[in-house]
Amino acid sequence: MDIYLLKDIPILIRTDTMGLFFLILTVFTWVMNLIFSIEYMKKERHRLRYYIFFTLTMLSMVGICISGNLITMYVFYEFMSLLSLPLVLHEQTAEAIAAGKKYIFYSMGGAFMGLVGFFFIYRYGTTLTFTPGGVINPGLIEGHETALYLVTLFVIIGFGSKAGMFPLHGWLPAAHPVAPSPASAYLSGNITKMGLFVIVRYIYYLIGPSYLKGTWVQYAFIGLTLVTIVMGSMMAYKEGLFKKRLAYSTVSQVSYALLGIAFMTKWALVGALLHVVFHSLVKNTLFEVAGAVIHKTGFKNVKDYKDLARKMPVTMWCYTLVSLTLVGVPPTSAFLSKWYLAQGALEASLPVLSWLAPVCLIISALLTAGYLLSITLKAFFPGDEYDYPCLEKKEPNLYMLIPILIMTVGAVVSGIWAGPLVNIVNNIVNGIL
Amino acid sequence: MLLALCIGPMAAGIIAYCIGRRNKTVRDYFADIVTVLETVLIIYLSIRSLKGGELSFTAPYLCGLGLSLKLDGFRMIYGLVAALMWTCTVIFSREYMAHYPRTNRYYMFFLATMGATVGVFLSADLFTTFLFFEIMSFTSYTWVAHDETRESLRAAETYLAVAVIGGMVMLLGLFFLYNITGTLVIDDIYDAVSMAVKRDPLIKSRVYTVSALMLTGFAAKAGMFPLHIWLPKAHPVAPAPASALLSGILTKSGIFGVLIISTDILRYDKNWGFMILVFGVITMFGGALLGIFSINLKRTLACSSMSQIGFILVGIGMQGLLAAENGLAVRGTILHMVNHSIIKLVLFMCAGVVYMNLHELNLNKIRGYGRSKYFLMICFLAGGLSISGIPGFSGYLSKTLLHESIVEYMEVSGAMRGTYKFIEYVFLLTGGMTLAYMLKLFVAVFIESGDGSLSHVRRSPEEIYMAEDVDDGSDRYGRYLGTASRMAILIPTIMLLILGFMPYKVSDRIAALAFPFMHGQEHAGTIAYFSPANLKGSVISVALGIIIYLVVVRKLLMREEEGKRVYIDAWPKWLDIENIIYRPLLQHIIPFILAFVLRILDRMADHVISLIHRTLLREVEPRRPLLYGNAFTHVAGVAANRLSAILNRTIRRKNPKYVNYEEKLAFSFDEALKTVRLTSRSVSFGLMMFSIGCIFTLVYLIIVLLLHVK
Repeated sequence: MDIYLLKDIPILIRTDTMGLFFLILTVFTWVMNLIFSIEYMKKERHRLRYYIFFTLTMLSMVGICISGNLITMYVFYEFMSLLSLPLVLHEQTAEAIAAGKKYIFYSMGGAFMGLVGFFFIYRYGTTLTFTPGGVINPGLIEGHETALYLVTLFVIIGFGSKAGMFPLHGWLPAAHPVAPSPASAYLSGNITKMGLFVIVRYIYYLIGPSYLKGTWVQYAFIGLTLVTIVMGSMMAYKEGLFKKRLAYSTVSQVSYALLGIAFMTKWALVGALLHVVFHSLVKNTLFEVAGAVIHKTGFKNVKDYKDLARKMPVTMWCYTLVSLTLVGVPPTSAFLSKWYLAQGALEASLPVLSWLAPVCLIISALLTAGYLLSITLKAFFPGDEYDYPCLEKKEPNLYMLIPILIMTVGAVVSGIWAGPLVNIVNNIVNGIL
Repeated sequence: MLLALCIGPMAAGIIAYCIGRRNKTVRDYFADIVTVLETVLIIYLSIRSLKGGELSFTAPYLCGLGLSLKLDGFRMIYGLVAALMWTCTVIFSREYMAHYPRTNRYYMFFLATMGATVGVFLSADLFTTFLFFEIMSFTSYTWVAHDETRESLRAAETYLAVAVIGGMVMLLGLFFLYNITGTLVIDDIYDAVSMAVKRDPLIKSRVYTVSALMLTGFAAKAGMFPLHIWLPKAHPVAPAPASALLSGILTKSGIFGVLIISTDILRYDKNWGFMILVFGVITMFGGALLGIFSINLKRTLACSSMSQIGFILVGIGMQGLLAAENGLAVRGTILHMVNHSIIKLVLFMCAGVVYMNLHELNLNKIRGYGRSKYFLMICFLAGGLSISGIPGFSGYLSKTLLHESIVEYMEVSGAMRGTYKFIEYVFLLTGGMTLAYMLKLFVAVFIESGDGSLSHVRRSPEEIYMAEDVDDGSDRYGRYLGTASRMAILIPTIMLLILGFMPYKVSDRIAALAFPFMHGQEHAGTIAYFSPANLKGSVISVALGIIIYLVVVRKLLMREEEGKRVYIDAWPKWLDIENIIYRPLLQHIIPFILAFVLRILDRMADHVISLIHRTLLREVEPRRPLLYGNAFTHVAGVAANRLSAILNRTIRRKNPKYVNYEEKLAFSFDEALKTVRLTSRSVSFGLMMFSIGCIFTLVYLIIVLLLHVK
């Protein structure tokens, strides 16, 4: 479907497997969060506004997934940034407004940085349509490689801001704690993935990995993701506010996937795409658990989470399982993506970075265990001075539990029966490498 | 079938939890049935496997990388030992746990851990090993934390931290290993590694790195120095059946991993063997030393576990050093593993009987408890004599074999004779120390008379009345141990005696089964266990042990107190590696440094933005003509004002000064200008300038003159 916005600027809607992959994930988690919202939003004001913008955000993300060329994607990307702003602003407190400002500043700033890349492709590419393997015109690019690298770095940093990549990750820890929990779940689990998706489109469908392999841009990209991985985990480890802790965790985890993209080998890419799915399931669950806890008890800081497992056993069991998933304990799913990421990194055999990447993954996994499992321990083993008889059940109702349960089962089972999913991802990757 | 051995108990654990919500008695019997079924199934499969070749199972797409299990000789032995230990402890648990809260949780994780542990021992590739190893670590956490007291939670935290860190470091090793070999199947690894090294000799160093990383994970579980920290903490606080399992079998799963590294990845590698040997000697000696100092019954047993693991590691090290002549070392290793598992099962259950009745483990308080309790005494004695290596008991066989392997290596190689002689002496001395601390326990509990204040916590009449509906299978009227539990302790004791009394019929056959797994080379001829040469080593050990007991334990570690001799608590609390090194390093120093650096990076973008906001993009006031002074005084004055404001906020917070330096500077500048103008026009100024000129001329003349004179 070709529509022309202006002369020479086409709007193209087209689906391929990569787009469909992200599309299904986006819609699935949207449904889950919608079910969760029914109960959660009962206590909030401005419900209609919330539902409208929540849906519009989802639609604009669907737009990104099904756009067939650069311009379309960019338009939908800006839509997404703007339409998700009311979700951050929802509570209309001074804090929320400050966070909203920060969010839109980082998003817009990042997108404008990335726009440079789009002009570059318009000048040096053969077409604007996404083509596996890249569209760079080899004749024109001759002698302009440095420009290509610089521009690519700009795109990576610019759109990396949406994916929470260092140095432009600052909006995540600000925006997540103030948004309503299902919205922060969606922000963290899916909107960040759109930044990643744009980078995938840019590197694999416009520039082509063959131009970037082994260049300093690749090293810089890997270096940035490694810094982000360790930094996010460490900040999460030091953070007391539960939702802020999860936000930092997202900073770290999305960079796992970015790391896979940066290495540009087959297994690294498989690992990256698998991690997109697994992290999305896990992080949505974690934010929903945080939401359920806030909804039922009002606790926001992890120091109050003692004995929580007695009050909300099902919720905390789900929490524990997805935490183990995120740490990467087999047979849960995220172990698998880490395995492929590490193998992909080693397969690339770059100096230093190839072995540094698995080391960083392991350090981050240890920190992840530190900041997630410590809550489990506190919740399940409150200590012997704890007074058992006077506890009251505070399990949330089914509207909240069902999405949590479905996604937990999804995260765990997709690790045990990973065959089909790995096959799908393998096919996608084989199509572009 | 093999998969059912691992998954079955895990599922049964969840079922047991559900049953337990309704009826605890049914749950207990259900758990018994599950463990017995598991044992029967393993025996059946073993027989089938012995008759018709090895059984194996592979599911290439399960759990992502594929599960694969196998049942060969070694795995058979250890699967069976595991199932047996669980059967005994589950029967014992019924009585032991009868008065504990939260037993449902206990049984659920008890069975789940069984499945995972069997999975570790049956695994045929390292991924499967790792998978079940991690599950085992996490599920057994709940055992240590079960009491939920402050100490048990702290010990459990240590246990979990060691397990998680060890597991992740092991995973790192697996990443690199798979990159080198391209396979994780245990039987293929040796060939793959050799091929890779042949292609590129530089890979050898990477193989060592990989092995060291994986060793960290496995050795942490096995309790090897310096990663033994969890052992002496976790055992005293865990329920006794759980301690028996932790010590008897979970540590062996670590040893299983060390064996894979030493006999497959680095088969017959001398450097590696020597390293394991050194760690083994330190662990062996250190554990025994701590055991002598401890006055807590279960903690002494935990130290003893550490020490025996050291013996096993010595055996593994010798396997590597002896390379093709490793028959004795292989036999010693496997026999000591089996012996130690069963011995610790018996001993910890005996300790459990004491704790169950007295709720106390301190030797001074439980003194004399076991007098005239002959059943308990005999079982404990059998375990104690075995572990101390008294001829005729099972521990003697394995320790003799290990000792012989050291002697043999000295004969074969001849290099570094002094070192190995030293190791041999340490080995014998440690054997003596084992006897010493076991004697200490035995004498304290079973021979010495107590102070008559033993308060039997369990089985007060009210409690018996209240527990009427709880059928814990025991005699409720004053006996210290029920029949079912007696059986649970008796069976392993008998097995222990059989192992010791029939060295050629039973022990040798068990050892032979493990040969293919450890790649042992058969030793020519039968081993004369009771030859004078072999007895000599044992006699030296026993003599040393008795001397140590009489001199150190009786004289130095006891003192007179209120007319009685009591044991001194000589446990070196200050020498806790965990508190001195690990905890400060991992909880404070490293996180602080990392967090400091990374927080700067984290805030970087925000700070850059706010800096730009304040400087380049700030709202600029339109330029106004200066009211007073000139550009210089304005700039300097504004700077001084800012500085003063900062000082007011920081240093001079108590008594701030508010002065407008801009104004002040402008006026004093004007003043100065005026003065200069006035002075320069006066006569006296002219005169002064003339005088200065004269002085300079004079000085010049003098200098010229002086230079000329020379």
